Amino acid sequence: MSRPDAIPASAVRSEANTVKPFNRRHFPLDGWEMTLVVLLVLVLVGFSWAAPGFYDGMPDLLSMAENFLPFGFVALGLSLVIFTGGIDLSVSTTASLTAVVVAQLWHGFGMNIWVAAGIGLLLGALLGAINVLVIIRLKIEPLIATLATSFIYGSIATAVAGNAPPSGFPDAFNALGGGALGILPYQLLLFVPLCLGFWLLVARSAYGRKLVMVGYNREVALYSGIRVERILVVAYVLSGVMAAVAGLVLAAYYSAARPDMGDPLLLATLTMVVLGGVSIFGGEGTMLGVILAVFILGFLRQGMMIAGFSDMVTTMVTGAILITSIAVKNLFNKRGTGLGNQLWALLRRPEATGSEPE
Amino acid sequence: MGTKDDIERVLRRRGREVALVGVTLALVVVLGILQPRFVHLENLRFMLLGSVVLSLVALGQTFVIAMRGIDLSVAPLLGLSAMVCGLLAQSQGLPLWIAFALSLGIGVVLGAFNGLLVSALSIPPIVVTLGTYSIYSGFIFIYSQGTQVFSIPAAYGHLGNGYLVPWLPIPIPVLVLLVVLALCSFLLGYTRFGRALLAVGNNDAAAYNAGIPVGGIRIAVYALSGMLASFAGLMFLCYTGSATVTAGTGDHIELQSIAVALVGGTPINGGRGNLIGTVLGSLFLSVVLTALVFLRVPAIWYSAGEGLMILATVQAGLRRHRARDAEAVA
Amino acid sequence: MSFAQWAASPGPGVGGHEGRIYRACNIGKRFGPVTVLRDVDATLRAGRVLTIMGENGAGKSTLFKILAGQLRPTSGHIELDGQELSLGAPSAAHAHGIYLVPQEPMLMPELSVAEMMFVGHMPTSGRFLKRVDWRAIRSRARAVLDALELDIGIDRPAKTLSIAQLQLVECAKALLHECRVILFDEPTSPLTAHEVETLFGIMRRLAGDGYTLSFISHRTEEVMEISDDIVVLRDGRMVGAAERGAFDRASLLSLMVGRELRTVSRRTKSHVTQELALSVKGLTHEPSFRDVDFSLRRGEILGLAGLIGAGRTEIAETIFGLRQVDRGTVKLGNTDITGVPSHDLIRRGVAYVPEDRGRHGAVLPMTITENITSSRMERVRQTAGLMSRGHETEIGAKAVRDFRIRCAGLDQTLLELSGGNQQKVVFAKWISTEPRLVILDEPTRGVDVGAKEEIYELIDRMAASGTAVVVISSESEELVRLCDRVLCIYEGRIVAELAGEEITPQSVTASYVGGSQARDAEFEKAGA
Repeated sequence: MSRPDAIPASAVRSEANTVKPFNRRHFPLDGWEMTLVVLLVLVLVGFSWAAPGFYDGMPDLLSMAENFLPFGFVALGLSLVIFTGGIDLSVSTTASLTAVVVAQLWHGFGMNIWVAAGIGLLLGALLGAINVLVIIRLKIEPLIATLATSFIYGSIATAVAGNAPPSGFPDAFNALGGGALGILPYQLLLFVPLCLGFWLLVARSAYGRKLVMVGYNREVALYSGIRVERILVVAYVLSGVMAAVAGLVLAAYYSAARPDMGDPLLLATLTMVVLGGVSIFGGEGTMLGVILAVFILGFLRQGMMIAGFSDMVTTMVTGAILITSIAVKNLFNKRGTGLGNQLWALLRRPEATGSEPE
Repeated sequence: MGTKDDIERVLRRRGREVALVGVTLALVVVLGILQPRFVHLENLRFMLLGSVVLSLVALGQTFVIAMRGIDLSVAPLLGLSAMVCGLLAQSQGLPLWIAFALSLGIGVVLGAFNGLLVSALSIPPIVVTLGTYSIYSGFIFIYSQGTQVFSIPAAYGHLGNGYLVPWLPIPIPVLVLLVVLALCSFLLGYTRFGRALLAVGNNDAAAYNAGIPVGGIRIAVYALSGMLASFAGLMFLCYTGSATVTAGTGDHIELQSIAVALVGGTPINGGRGNLIGTVLGSLFLSVVLTALVFLRVPAIWYSAGEGLMILATVQAGLRRHRARDAEAVA
Repeated sequence: MSFAQWAASPGPGVGGHEGRIYRACNIGKRFGPVTVLRDVDATLRAGRVLTIMGENGAGKSTLFKILAGQLRPTSGHIELDGQELSLGAPSAAHAHGIYLVPQEPMLMPELSVAEMMFVGHMPTSGRFLKRVDWRAIRSRARAVLDALELDIGIDRPAKTLSIAQLQLVECAKALLHECRVILFDEPTSPLTAHEVETLFGIMRRLAGDGYTLSFISHRTEEVMEISDDIVVLRDGRMVGAAERGAFDRASLLSLMVGRELRTVSRRTKSHVTQELALSVKGLTHEPSFRDVDFSLRRGEILGLAGLIGAGRTEIAETIFGLRQVDRGTVKLGNTDITGVPSHDLIRRGVAYVPEDRGRHGAVLPMTITENITSSRMERVRQTAGLMSRGHETEIGAKAVRDFRIRCAGLDQTLLELSGGNQQKVVFAKWISTEPRLVILDEPTRGVDVGAKEEIYELIDRMAASGTAVVVISSESEELVRLCDRVLCIYEGRIVAELAGEEITPQSVTASYVGGSQARDAEFEKAGA
């Protein structure tokens, strides 16, 4: 990675120990999280001002969250997988399959909907376990493994759903998707504690520390006596479970279970996780960033819809935000003088993408 | 000496292709015995034609993966080119050669944009193309304004389904694919550009030190992938005679193209590219899917079949590769 | 070079000029506030080998990078045959016939040896359609490898080559590009003694053919063996420059370190007790090592000597549960721990400090505290599954004090520390688990002399407290300095055992030779 006349960080760091550290202790949020907070405020204030009808009182704002929290559930689980340096492309079909199976258990077998939902969560765990089994035992890259299983889960979901997907669940179950306790939607009541749980898991538990270590450098983790496979199993299983939660919430929201219901989840949640600051190569990032990104992208999408933009335009903007945010982050992380110089230098030098040594 | 050694050498160097041909032929023979209609000329032609569009996309994907990148935006590029050319042809009778140039142009520009983001802004390719996937999908929607293509001029249909000359029973798209494959093989195997992109896929820092303009190569390769995807869109339009907003994205052709490239023997970590394997891989996929139809397997199981195929072939490839490396060390 | 220029350029560098003189004049280099080089002059002459000597951090590699066009000097300039050069990129240096052979050449794993030699400079043929000329590539690659008398198949995938072979291929590449100035960046550290001989043989021949050579080293023996001229750097300044005859080993060392060096001294006091700590019987892991027997008492320091690749690291990793046991048993005290996985061994008080800090030892982007507790997170107080930050910081702070880690704060990541301090963090990570048995793999690799002494003291203190220590080292002086007993490993077997006064640098080195003689005898037997 040598660029003429660039400052090789390694030289500075190893030959003279003068770099002043950024003392995390004094800042509750790191730089990227602060950026995200500002972005969230901008989105909320911007739309309240520019799109009449966006801010219509707190209850309304909160209930708006029902439209995007299913993405949030998936993003929480998916982040764990991405922290390990892997990826789970099967989250969308896992969500669909779970929803369809739960609906059939209720409709076809006359099972109590809550028991069926419990089985659905177990199914999510099972599907996640299958993913990680393929990755560990067959030694197939997570990208390919979950690509394949996502095809398979999707087929099964379509088959289970049959010609007339079940709908019309009991009201109590539907409330999970669209109901509220006072002004607080049930979805939010479910999401907040889960956020807290995942945040503590990653930031404060021994598991979280091991997870990050595995993501940064799997070899070091192995040599430190960390049971890497266990860490992976937990991450993928939790990703499956959270996808299942999203599937259930979606089924409740629509009071129906369609086999393609989870399809929009994948790209949107990947965007959330990456915008949240989690590195696609693993290790780096925080759960708090991901949670902030869920709300930023969620409210952005809602705001644009209220402002009269079509769904496709909203998707485009989401894509553009994903790219710009990472670009800005990368530019800030590098030293240099003028932006133009820097762009030119970057154009001529190989960047770090994908060049991690095996 | 002689033939036996030659066979061994071919097997060692071209094992993946031989295996794919063998499995595909075996499948055709078995299905032919079970269902004689399977080996009917019409069906063979159908299976060949069915693999052309995916092959074109996957060839571009192979270049990108060989360079250690990934391109998810091929699906909306395919759809966009099909939609733009289709609507213009439908409403204004756009001449075929202009459609040809137009689709290549769209692909090169938008593909190069991917490459520019990857190389100039150091964004991981999966993130870049995930983002442009959304953006380019939006372009299709905005351009089409909810309309779709349902009829195309005869010249287009001829390109998509006809024959060049009466005595040659090979459909034009298959010929087109063969020409593209030959050009791509030359590009990868015999040009400095092709070898440089493999060097970048092996080790970008070392490639830079060897004087290869890594950023430029990256942009060119993504442009090439965009161009092939976009050209595949035109072929898709000509073959099916229609284009909708979800052409490409609806079939997840981005995932299929990655799968087929891997099945064809290109490693996900780059450094090598097997173009013939990629084409054979998509032919194999086409045969498998048609076989499922003949076996009266409901359509809903097709993608499960694809998934299992990916797992099986990638796994087989890993084993073979490890064995070969061990042999080379010894 | 722009993309267009590159695409149009004809191929490898301009032809060979005889008798090149390459000079660095008053070179200075700063990185931000840090000055790495000050007024360094060095002259490379045709037919001679110039050695740049110095400790880690003395600025040797920076000087080389400037000479090879990877960095630009802050002050001063470089000139080739009296003409000032401005090198913007390594490829520009190649064009002027200057080639840097890196210590661990960057691998193009999937390419063939022949193609790897031509990366970036593919010869083409054909007037109308320029196509890569594979026939020329293969024949020229073959010819240059033959000229160097290297037996490396040109069609082998690069990933199957050893580091030594890669270096030699890089060297062949320099010839191929008709470079007359060849720089070797500390080539010998990852090589075995035999491979060093091969490399030196080739360097001598090149010098004899009038090539201009330079290399980096901090091993005095080999510097005295191969150099014609020597430049010694210390803290970025030139502290000595003359022909080899003007120096001897001791003067080189004292110039490098900046003070008179004590001669190698043995430890005065041994802490060996009677209590058995580890016993290994018939341990085998094919094809790395077989039938290894040894035992170790508490308080004892046992050295494993041998060449790189002799199987020492593999033995350590097998004991630590990272590799499969094919045959044999391992006992910790009286408990059988054969095949017990490492996480379990850590609980039982075994620690293994791996050789490669960046790859196995520590996660460089994580903080000091996080790295130190990562060896055993269970020791951090936990409430309801959450680690106590206060307690974790206490553990970190204690380790930083105990191991004298120089840092600006516990929240610094290891990326911001020097090599020696990184190594101390890795030590702290393992020693703070208070193990009964520690295996140290090359504990002072890439550590400067001052930090080395501190690490030796640490090891001694550990033994004094009753820990059993295994030290794997390629530096015989280190083994002499530290060990109660030394086992010499050759090709996966223990070929000699030295104890007490028998351990001298000569005897340790001789045991490798003994090993190869034993092998020659075996061959003769097999042949007869």
